[in-house]
Amino acid sequence: MDHNMDRRRFLRDAAAWSLSFSLILHWPFPFRIDHAEAVGRPTPPFQTRVGIGKGANYPQLVRRVIALIGGMEAFVRPGMRVVIKPNISFDRPPEMGATTHPMVVRTLAEMAVEAGADQVTIFDRTCNEARRCYHTSGILPAIEAMNSSTIRCEYIDGRKFVQVDIPEGRSLKNWTIYRDALEADCYINVPVAKQHGLAGLSLGLKNNMGVLGGNRGRLHRKLDQNLADLATIIRPTLTVIDATRMLLRNGPQGGRLEDVLINNTVIASADPLAADACATELFGQSPDQVGATVSAAAMNLGTLQMDRISRIEWP
Amino acid sequence: MAMRKTPPPTFWRRLSQVLFLVLFLVLFVQTDYQGKDELSGAINLLFRIDPLIGLSVSLTARSFVVLIAPSMFLLLSCFLAGRWFCGWACPMGTLLDASNPLVGSRKDNIPRPISKIRHGLLVIIFVGALFGLPLVGYFDPFAILVRGLTMSIYPAFSMAVEQLFTLTYQHGPPWLNFATEPLYRILRDHILPFEQKIFTLALPAAIILLTVFLMELFQRRFFCRNICPLGALLGMAARLAPWRIRNRQPGCRACGGCSEICRTGAIDDLGRVSNERCILCLDCLQQCPNHHFDFGRAKRASAAASEGLSRRALIGTIAAGIAVPFLFAVRPLRRHPEARLLRPPGARPEGEFLGRCVRCGECMQVCIGNALHPTFAEAGVEGMFTPRLIPRIGYCEYQCTLCGQVCPTGAIERLPASKKQKVVIGRAFIDRNRCLPYAKGIPCIVCEEHCPTPQKAIRFRSEKIENEQGTVIEVKQPYVIDSLCIGCGICENKCPLPGKSAILVTSAGESRHTSFGLNESSYIDPEYH
Repeated sequence: MDHNMDRRRFLRDAAAWSLSFSLILHWPFPFRIDHAEAVGRPTPPFQTRVGIGKGANYPQLVRRVIALIGGMEAFVRPGMRVVIKPNISFDRPPEMGATTHPMVVRTLAEMAVEAGADQVTIFDRTCNEARRCYHTSGILPAIEAMNSSTIRCEYIDGRKFVQVDIPEGRSLKNWTIYRDALEADCYINVPVAKQHGLAGLSLGLKNNMGVLGGNRGRLHRKLDQNLADLATIIRPTLTVIDATRMLLRNGPQGGRLEDVLINNTVIASADPLAADACATELFGQSPDQVGATVSAAAMNLGTLQMDRISRIEWP
Repeated sequence: MAMRKTPPPTFWRRLSQVLFLVLFLVLFVQTDYQGKDELSGAINLLFRIDPLIGLSVSLTARSFVVLIAPSMFLLLSCFLAGRWFCGWACPMGTLLDASNPLVGSRKDNIPRPISKIRHGLLVIIFVGALFGLPLVGYFDPFAILVRGLTMSIYPAFSMAVEQLFTLTYQHGPPWLNFATEPLYRILRDHILPFEQKIFTLALPAAIILLTVFLMELFQRRFFCRNICPLGALLGMAARLAPWRIRNRQPGCRACGGCSEICRTGAIDDLGRVSNERCILCLDCLQQCPNHHFDFGRAKRASAAASEGLSRRALIGTIAAGIAVPFLFAVRPLRRHPEARLLRPPGARPEGEFLGRCVRCGECMQVCIGNALHPTFAEAGVEGMFTPRLIPRIGYCEYQCTLCGQVCPTGAIERLPASKKQKVVIGRAFIDRNRCLPYAKGIPCIVCEEHCPTPQKAIRFRSEKIENEQGTVIEVKQPYVIDSLCIGCGICENKCPLPGKSAILVTSAGESRHTSFGLNESSYIDPEYH
């Protein structure tokens, strides 16, 4: 055998190596899994019951409010994969009111497990650096402290965004959406109630943006209609609005305690628009002042008329 | 059964090299946000024990820089035991040694004067430091290594691994993912960077580092023997070291093997050891068939003549070191800095910043927004590889202070978050010809949404304007409040326009150069912030 490298052998080897490397790194043939099943999830019938509670003990408050609308068992059945989607968008501590309170998130996760959930996943696609947001918001430390194998607070994994068509969309026809949010058996949306320059208020519909990929700033061009279109695809089983602290000015980031009102309120409903409508009133605004909610109501995605919402209050 | 042999002396040297290399790599990967505002342990330790950087930065600063005091201990140890660091600890040396088997045998016919380059560089670096021409970062081995790893090798490695596991995740069968996903999770949690980074000078940084390795083709430890100014400095200290490798039979000439195997060419044809070149690798101890070599206290200075520059070359080098900085000083960029050259928060005034910065790229490694990038020629050629903020690629995170924490020489000052949030690194300007609410009558204000200053340096007014369809609509139009803007660049970063942003940050008003300020009085007004 001749072990010397002649020209022919060199060319052959070089071609074989570079072909195999480039195939590994840039696999050109799509044999993508079908993600149609991710989209066609049945949606629960809309109820118009809204639970509203007040109290300084947040775990107790959350439990009471969920009990008002039938308890966690009405939403989470044994064996379900549950996604809890809080607002972790900014690098602000809980007292600044820019993110969902960690005790609210933690209590919901506990309740989901108590109701028999197999797995509870908590995530948000943040605006500021993800690790800073997860830590500073107190949500990651609160979940890690539970040391539970069923409850996980995870960073977004860029590989999990899938292109989704929005057939009912009037302005937004398709977008990339996080797979875990689409595939969850029970999706619990947990926004924090706060002021937002363009949207007016950032509530449940706005919080849905946290499961989107891509350049989300582009959605601002027709934000109200885009959020409504999105709501045709992302349909929370349960919406829990954290109004324990309300950021009234300089939102959605805030950063000054003067702008935060401590209101110790939690709102929960299976109807995302009814929950948003009740939260709007906490700001002294009328539900028809928030464009996104109005657009979504025009698409029959929930109830906005206050006379059709039964408010169940505690205490 | 054979008796258990005591390990050969080179075993301990190799073990030490491996341990230091592992420590180096662990510190390198750790140079990242660790879940707390304060870092515990970063790669800057390496630079703080580097006496070349210690001395040149102190010469630049005209005072002893306390941050790099530990480097004096290393220098002192070389006065006692020679260049042990080069042979036993230096990560660059270890990697060069490790690459040796890949290179194979080569003829060593490098002309002798080449090895004087290192002395020339050492003199130029120190004289340049004194007269305002910072050069140390381009030749210091740690700077070359950390920079190459940070800007090119580590990001490229991460990219390759990510793509491989993206492939298995998206296209692989479940049984494959059962094996690959746990492996990926381990890599992601412990080795890979949190986010894929990109760097403007990825290629130049890689080429410089690879050149050091390619030079191994000519000679073993070519860089260490001929170029490394740190090695030259430690070698000068080693001239006086009492503990050294001794040849008990100088002039033995039995085989000449010692002179051939020595990886730094420290042993001449007569078997005499030059302590200035010897890095205590102990190969001669192990391989001399007659066991002539040992390590111990030398009774008097070695017979081998000390090396260095001739008097003529020394004076010439010093003269050049004094003259060249003035050539650099007569370019306009000293008076009219590049408007888009944003320096990290806490950076000292430009001249001092350039002098102190060792171009190691640690600030860029630690920057969680991938906002800091190596400068090319925007700060002059001598500013190459210094950090600059490029907002369109990444913005400065409002509460983050990591770059100031890792800077080994204090070129970027370490500031508490409350102070850092008041440092103005530039100001944002809106380009109304591109900004959607102004130019097209389309709602947007993403910049306002993301502005992190608590009172919002970007606000908006509602205006009724006619859009492209001819309908009059009310849109919110953003504007910048100069006295509140700190130039973090998040607005430019998040501006959803494709390509160029409609809001741009320039260095105007940066607080380290108050003379370039816009409204000098307003941004130091304590009423704001």
